[in-house]
Amino acid sequence: MSKHQYAMVMDLNKCLGCQTCTIACKKLWTDRDGTGYMYWNNVETRPGLGYPRQWDRIGGGWKDGALQPSPLPTMDDYGHAWEYDYEQRLFEGKRKPVMPSPEPQSGCNWDEDVGGVNGDENYFFYLPRICNHCTYPACLEACPRKAIYKREEDGIVVIDQDRCQGYRYCIKACPYKKIYFNEVTGKSEKCIFCYPRLEKGEVNACAAQCPGRLRFVGLLDDPESPVHKLVLVHKIALPLFPEKGTQPNVFYVPPFNPPKRANYGKSILEDSRLPLEYLIYLFGPEVKDVITRLESELKKAQEGGRSEVLQLLIGRDAETRYRIRPQLVQIQLQGA
Amino acid sequence: MKTLRQSIVMPLLFAALGWCQTALKAVPGQSLSVAQSKASVQELLHRPADWNNVPLKRVSLNRTPPLYDTDEPAVLEVPSVDVRSARAEGKLLVQLTWRDATQDAANLAKVPATPPESRFRKLPTEADDRFFDAAAIMFPAKLASDLVAPSLQMGDNDRPVEIYYWNAARGAMVMEAQGRGTTRRTGQAFAADADYQNGEWTVTMELPDLPTDTTIAFAIWNGSQKDRDGRKYFSVWQLLK
Repeated sequence: MSKHQYAMVMDLNKCLGCQTCTIACKKLWTDRDGTGYMYWNNVETRPGLGYPRQWDRIGGGWKDGALQPSPLPTMDDYGHAWEYDYEQRLFEGKRKPVMPSPEPQSGCNWDEDVGGVNGDENYFFYLPRICNHCTYPACLEACPRKAIYKREEDGIVVIDQDRCQGYRYCIKACPYKKIYFNEVTGKSEKCIFCYPRLEKGEVNACAAQCPGRLRFVGLLDDPESPVHKLVLVHKIALPLFPEKGTQPNVFYVPPFNPPKRANYGKSILEDSRLPLEYLIYLFGPEVKDVITRLESELKKAQEGGRSEVLQLLIGRDAETRYRIRPQLVQIQLQGA
Repeated sequence: MKTLRQSIVMPLLFAALGWCQTALKAVPGQSLSVAQSKASVQELLHRPADWNNVPLKRVSLNRTPPLYDTDEPAVLEVPSVDVRSARAEGKLLVQLTWRDATQDAANLAKVPATPPESRFRKLPTEADDRFFDAAAIMFPAKLASDLVAPSLQMGDNDRPVEIYYWNAARGAMVMEAQGRGTTRRTGQAFAADADYQNGEWTVTMELPDLPTDTTIAFAIWNGSQKDRDGRKYFSVWQLLK
């Protein structure tokens, strides 16, 4: 158990699906050889296939104290990179249409905005995903090289690139499939929670660039941090697939969706546009209590009162959304 | 929570293996005769005919027991490796031949010398789920005065090992270890030649001139069986004669 734990809360009600976070991360960390298919941060439409496709159904994580089996996702699941045949059109005088090759079959954000149908209404929402920097990381347990470690000072889970031999037991073990194999280097890589930025007092790149201002970052054990308040005080943010047993440190404010068109004024739990079962599938049965809490906060505000929870969720400025404590983490480490 | 296999059976098995390796040194059948060759190192590396007169020893291979509960089962489909060894020009050349119905190899693109940020195109990861055939030769990093072999599990603290590792995609690299889980690349390469024909690998490696009575052990990985790490075939120690 680490001395401190950095955590992130993402308010799914504010996510635009614009992928600015994805690009911020990609430009900063995965614009190297072998990393083309890696999205340490990705945003997927839910319900949907996800990236890699069906990652939520292929296995990994813990059950009764034991790691669970899982196959490795293949490049078919991530999607093969394609090129456009501009040469023939622009330089070789052929006038065939410019087509991608090989024919795209899958990819990051492949089924954007497809979503699902509930009765006669389409519904979807966006789910941004990074490594969950779990309290009980299955990847760490699975690595025979002990190349993965959880930083004592801030709980960030990282892969030591000198120790990693590319065995990929970690990828199998991660129930969120957030570790990627770099075939060029022969080693595995993952989100590092932008720890070099945090150490300088800067927030994660994905959070800093988010136009929807939906990300909150801080130490989970810091009573003044927004993540502490949202997760532990107001109890309106939940981890993804809690039953996988890894205890994620990335939390989500579930989509607080309006009721169906014809049912204005009804409770969301009475006639939800999103099927409640799907939210329970993602966030566990506790999501019902969270929605009830959010609904009462909304009602309070609608009746002219002041909701501290909603004010926090609006997150007008960086000081509200982020509380980065490099000095605290360093001082405590030196004293350890 | 550890299973019964992890907590009791596996340590016992490894302890037994550890005992076997030293005891086996005395068994005459576990020795390996080294021929003196008139051919040059280059000829031995690249001209298979020069090995025709070198005696062959068929070394039995064992399969490591399943190490992790989540591992797919593996079979003993590579039961032995044929070993020839010869000294030439102050080097020890060892040729390993084994049957493997599937060739798991690749020509991985070489990383350009220019840094990735100065290139528009970066090398892709072609596949994330393939593993390659490989072979390795392990021997003590320093000559033991007490004639006790290192642990077969990648040596131990007092008796570190050197491993000459060849991989069908990544080539030849020297590694060192002081016990299970400590293996690391030294950054050095060595000369090796590999050929796959008719369902059979022939890999020739150039080793330092190891003296007589050095212990030497072999390992084979089958990529299509997702072999990597300790998931492999291995021999017990052989004595160079």
